[in-house]
Amino acid sequence: MLFEELKTIQRQSDGTPIAAEDLLRLPVFKDISPQFLKKNANATVWRHFKRGDIVCREGEFGSTAFYILEGRASVALATPIAHVKAQGRPTGFLARLTSKLTSRLSPRQEDRREGEADRRSIPIDAPVDLAYDHPVAELGPGELFGEMTCMNYYPRSATVRAESDCTMLEMLRNVLDVLQKNKAFRAQLDETYRRRALDSHLRDVSLFRGLHQDFIDRLRDRVELMRFAPGQVICKQGDPADSFYLVRLGFVKVSENYPGGELVLAYLSRGDYFGEIGLLGGGTRTAACSALDHVEVVRISAEDFREMMDRYPEVRSGLERAARERQDANQQRLRMVRSVPLESFLAQGLMEAQSLLVLDLAKCTRCDACVTACADSHDGVTRLVREGLRFENFLVATSCRQCRDPLCMVGCPVGAIRRRNSLEVIIEDWCIGCGLCAKNCPYGNINMHSFAAQVEDHEHPGQKKAVVQKKATTCDLCTEHAEPSCVYACPHDAAHRVEPRDFFAGSLGQRVGKTGSART
Amino acid sequence: MRIDRTHRSWLVASLAIFGVALLVYAAYRVPFASGSMGGTAAGLAFGSIGFAFMIFAALLGARKRMPVYRFGPAQTWMRGHLWLGLLSLPIILFHSGFRYGHGLTAWLMTLLIIVVLSGVFGAVLQHYMPLVMTREVTMETIYEEIGHVRAQLLEEAEELIKQATGVEKKAEVEGGEPDSSESAVAVMDEIAPLRNFYERELKPFLEKPGARGAALGDAAQARSAFAQLRTLVPASLHTTVEDLEGICEEERQLTLQSHLHLWLHSWLLLHIPLSLALILLGAIHAVMALRY
Repeated sequence: MLFEELKTIQRQSDGTPIAAEDLLRLPVFKDISPQFLKKNANATVWRHFKRGDIVCREGEFGSTAFYILEGRASVALATPIAHVKAQGRPTGFLARLTSKLTSRLSPRQEDRREGEADRRSIPIDAPVDLAYDHPVAELGPGELFGEMTCMNYYPRSATVRAESDCTMLEMLRNVLDVLQKNKAFRAQLDETYRRRALDSHLRDVSLFRGLHQDFIDRLRDRVELMRFAPGQVICKQGDPADSFYLVRLGFVKVSENYPGGELVLAYLSRGDYFGEIGLLGGGTRTAACSALDHVEVVRISAEDFREMMDRYPEVRSGLERAARERQDANQQRLRMVRSVPLESFLAQGLMEAQSLLVLDLAKCTRCDACVTACADSHDGVTRLVREGLRFENFLVATSCRQCRDPLCMVGCPVGAIRRRNSLEVIIEDWCIGCGLCAKNCPYGNINMHSFAAQVEDHEHPGQKKAVVQKKATTCDLCTEHAEPSCVYACPHDAAHRVEPRDFFAGSLGQRVGKTGSART
Repeated sequence: MRIDRTHRSWLVASLAIFGVALLVYAAYRVPFASGSMGGTAAGLAFGSIGFAFMIFAALLGARKRMPVYRFGPAQTWMRGHLWLGLLSLPIILFHSGFRYGHGLTAWLMTLLIIVVLSGVFGAVLQHYMPLVMTREVTMETIYEEIGHVRAQLLEEAEELIKQATGVEKKAEVEGGEPDSSESAVAVMDEIAPLRNFYERELKPFLEKPGARGAALGDAAQARSAFAQLRTLVPASLHTTVEDLEGICEEERQLTLQSHLHLWLHSWLLLHIPLSLALILLGAIHAVMALRY
């Protein structure tokens, strides 16, 4: 038993608030003010789980975190690891002519996507990441999970199940907030992170894969784990660059100031990094970074970063290349922001889009052939709606815009929505169907696709039951074909998939080059 | 489909086909000036080509019903439909030697003319109407949603009136029960014109927007009616009047959209069945002519 003190505490039934004096006997609550605990007497409750009980389910919304006192729990993704995909590429002349797309779940063994080779783990709201090829992990006494749900009200990222009889503390945000300020508790959580997750976290960044174990062991004790409250500035544009950061929890907004406002360059989530441009370049921060919600980062000092660069030339060249790409993309965005004159173009977010489905209203007879084609291509569920904002004579239809500022990615509890290098937004196999991305998309362009799945029946161990689960879907541009079905099926030459700044360049009174490879 | 510069190649090709057909017709027609053209080799060729054009044009409907099948972009089919469908008329006239005929052939010729003319009419409509709709109906919605949007507009208007009436009720409560205070009566008097206008003018218009003689259906008359209403209600209700005027304008736009939509698509009710009849009778004519 990790907590010998538990023997001295009289346990109450499940759901009963735990008395302040009992809490104070636990080492993690040792330095917390008794008055605070008394005032918040109902904010921490006993939770007892029998072996096999579900503690929380992925996708559910909640507002509490769990701290394991005894017993072991497994954490896993119950949703099938697969993505919704249009039915396979037709082969042969006749098959091509008659091919009809249908949506189905495509497991990764069958359809490995670009960038998957680099992925080793799935980030979740727990001190461990799940292995990409076997997304199950174990949690034990002294470990906290559900931090993001508790602090930021994000959906649960995984399903936690008691593997033995467990006793846990379930706590509300006010208690967790105070606990996180407690040095002893923080030290324990940080130690767990350093021991269990830092290694996989660093290695999941493809650039750091070549680091030797001895160097990671050295970093393990030297890195600083930092926390930031929502809105807090992590670093300012123009400040001296003194560290490199790896996002451990939450979302970081990277932005640049320009005459007339702030330009968001990127949202970074767990596994992303920042600060390399300043360290590799002139020694000053080129952009401001701030916490979008409760954020925790791993800070690597400039000294350690430089040592890493010297010892691992391949890491240096990789980082330099990534930094150059980021800078080029950022410059391009800034140039564009300065030159785009039309307010409505900006107000409608068209500048942020990299691919729009536009309908030329001077040609469109409102026959809905595009919508029918989209529905026919995707199991009868259209991914576009022939309605939206107008820009001049064009209707910007409700269909994924592949935004450069992808708000849909903010808050994904498992980081399942990402962009390819082409900036195309894709939803990864481990999407748990919580629907937060659909809610966050300002243009209503992400849909939830229901499908039947077989899951373990916890009431009848060893058996499976059929349930309806969801996966987020967005316009896939009918990549199986040369042209999206909506465009192909328009008899009036009214539907087009376009790069907006190029397409509207005439209206904007300029010619702006294509930025297909731009990356923030 | 808008007939613009992108149709140039189809136009040139169609003119070329027409020119060649005209030359062939002239060459063959002179020797057989008094006889029947349809039974000659050239006449049969014209008949076959014209019928093939008609079939191709008719296949557009089938193509539209299979939008995901990769039989070629739908717009190519549409261009073919327009130009080859149009060409079928002179080709068939060459086939018949400009004779109307009797019985089945007369029916066929009548159908062909109606189909081609209705098609030309539709093409003209589809060339201009989308632009008109875009310009005139700025609050356009999905056609199938119009009924739903109308119901929402009526609800919004009811809500606005309720809110204004809420002021009235408040005055009643403040004045005691039964309400006899002068201030409450004054408030009721102030609101009465708005309520009357809503009950007598706006509500009937929103419930039956297409009804003939509805003054609010005309933009100028509506402007004048709302301007007059503003003079009758206190300044505190001007925002409500403005909102109601906005609802009225949206309703008019929906009505206009419905009308334009009908214009855009209703001609198909004539064009499509007659086209199918033409193809069917054309096939019968071909079999009968070749057999007998």
